[in-house]
Amino acid sequence: MSQVDVVWRRRRRLETRHLLVSVLPGALWIFIFLVLPSAYLMSVAFMTNGGFGQPQLPLTLDAFRSLAGFGFLGWSPGNLYTLWRSIFQSVISLGLVVLVAYPVAWYISLCRPRLRAIMLLAVVVPSWTNQVIRAFGWMNLLSPGTPLSTLAENMGLIAPNMGLFPSDFAVTLGLVYNFLPFMVLPLYAAFEKLDHAQIEAARDLYASPLRTFFVAVLPQTLPGLLAGSVLVAIPAFGMYVIPELLGGGRSQMLGNLVASQFGEAANWPLGAAGALLMLLATLLGLVILRRMGRRLGGGTEMVI
Amino acid sequence: MQNRGFRKGLAIFWWLTLIFLYAPLLVVMVFSFNSINTSARWGGFSLRWYERLLHNDVVIGAIGHTLLLAVISSIIAVILGAMIGYGLYRHRARKLGLLIVLIYLPIVMPDIVFGISNMAFFVQINRLTGLLSPGLGTMVIAHVTFQIPFVALIVYSRFVGLDATLFDAAKDLYASPWQRMLHFILPTLKPALLSAFFLSFTLSVDDFVISFFTAGPESATLPIYIWGAIRRGISPEINAIATLMIASVALVAVLSLLFNRRRA
Repeated sequence: MSQVDVVWRRRRRLETRHLLVSVLPGALWIFIFLVLPSAYLMSVAFMTNGGFGQPQLPLTLDAFRSLAGFGFLGWSPGNLYTLWRSIFQSVISLGLVVLVAYPVAWYISLCRPRLRAIMLLAVVVPSWTNQVIRAFGWMNLLSPGTPLSTLAENMGLIAPNMGLFPSDFAVTLGLVYNFLPFMVLPLYAAFEKLDHAQIEAARDLYASPLRTFFVAVLPQTLPGLLAGSVLVAIPAFGMYVIPELLGGGRSQMLGNLVASQFGEAANWPLGAAGALLMLLATLLGLVILRRMGRRLGGGTEMVI
Repeated sequence: MQNRGFRKGLAIFWWLTLIFLYAPLLVVMVFSFNSINTSARWGGFSLRWYERLLHNDVVIGAIGHTLLLAVISSIIAVILGAMIGYGLYRHRARKLGLLIVLIYLPIVMPDIVFGISNMAFFVQINRLTGLLSPGLGTMVIAHVTFQIPFVALIVYSRFVGLDATLFDAAKDLYASPWQRMLHFILPTLKPALLSAFFLSFTLSVDDFVISFFTAGPESATLPIYIWGAIRRGISPEINAIATLMIASVALVAVLSLLFNRRRA
């Protein structure tokens, strides 16, 4: 009896050692070079700003106060505008992404199976190119004097010679462009499993096309829609490259505010507070995803 | 009838979306062959921007940094990630919750927070010890961190697709752990490892934000060079570099897909 126990225990110890040997190097790498730095960054958010942007010790909530706009010269709305713009841009671009991705995913699911893989690939391929280059492509398309800008000018949408870029509009466009695949893929996964009998049933009962859509189609694609929303809205909230290149100085978002605090604005604690906010938003998104995965069944597996 | 009209509408929408998706890339590629210095007008075909690239030492250096960074980081990430993938598979019966969280962390963390936390951390370490001064070394470290999870997931899913009895068969034939590794695990993993390498490579070349914040003054990669060039003012030279990058990333991605396809 005891001998079996000993053997079993030794075996278990060997297994644990095996697990540690195989997993530890990589896990340690991520721990040292990502968990520790993030922990450090989070602690910086609660420090005081030294003269040269270096965090100093008395622990305070100054960084969060200045994120809310309180500075040496009293309250100013600049940072709050930036925050508001981040939220606004991610919500607007999410809405537009849904409007574009929904018909696209639907259409792909209606095509022949062999074609579907190629079509999905066609949607994803542009996102393999560097973000900076994609934004640069849009700069080329939207700058003053280009056909699109001239068209908008002639339609009276923008002032003469202004061009569509740099502007808030260009940022929204860039965000939609960037995140479209993140919505198409989970939506497609939902459409692929669509139960067509429900649509037939709705039609047999003389439901109008609109009614059929809201009763028989939309509920079935809701898990994909929600998963895609998290995948689009949360990263869009922390976007850095697109507002920086397509937006110019007046269209800054939270990511730009954070980055500038570690560069020319030199206020590490303020930047770290912004980063903390972004991490919280990400965490929120993950919690929503998990919950949905549990309630709707198969929400997370599509994502991960 | 109504159904057919609906499908037709969807089809038109699909083609419009494709134009939307590829227009920015096509514009960059087409105007890299423009003979005049603007993206607003076509002045005739020319290769002058590519010619100019050949004589631009900064660009050549940046290409070198990009490739060096991608190769070194991918090799390290494939080794560490494959070990994690193997460990995850062999011990998948156990509760590994914390480990899973750790592996997903680099994927879900916003790029800007990732890059800045690394930068702040490296700066402090450098101040205290003199190690880890910003440059290619710090960039390799950061890239490996975000490549590991993808490698681990690819390798893990390859193992899951395997017949579990093969492991027992190898053991029953008294193969030593080393022999098992050499004659069974590595050969079956080869396609997954190659696919993981190419994916890591693509991720590395594709990255801008994390590279930007961990780079040193002497280690600018191509995306960082392009970023700087854009900020200084648009030049068709950027179109030429961008076109080369689009082409090479597409090539590597296709290779990765091919290796992934073959294992199925």
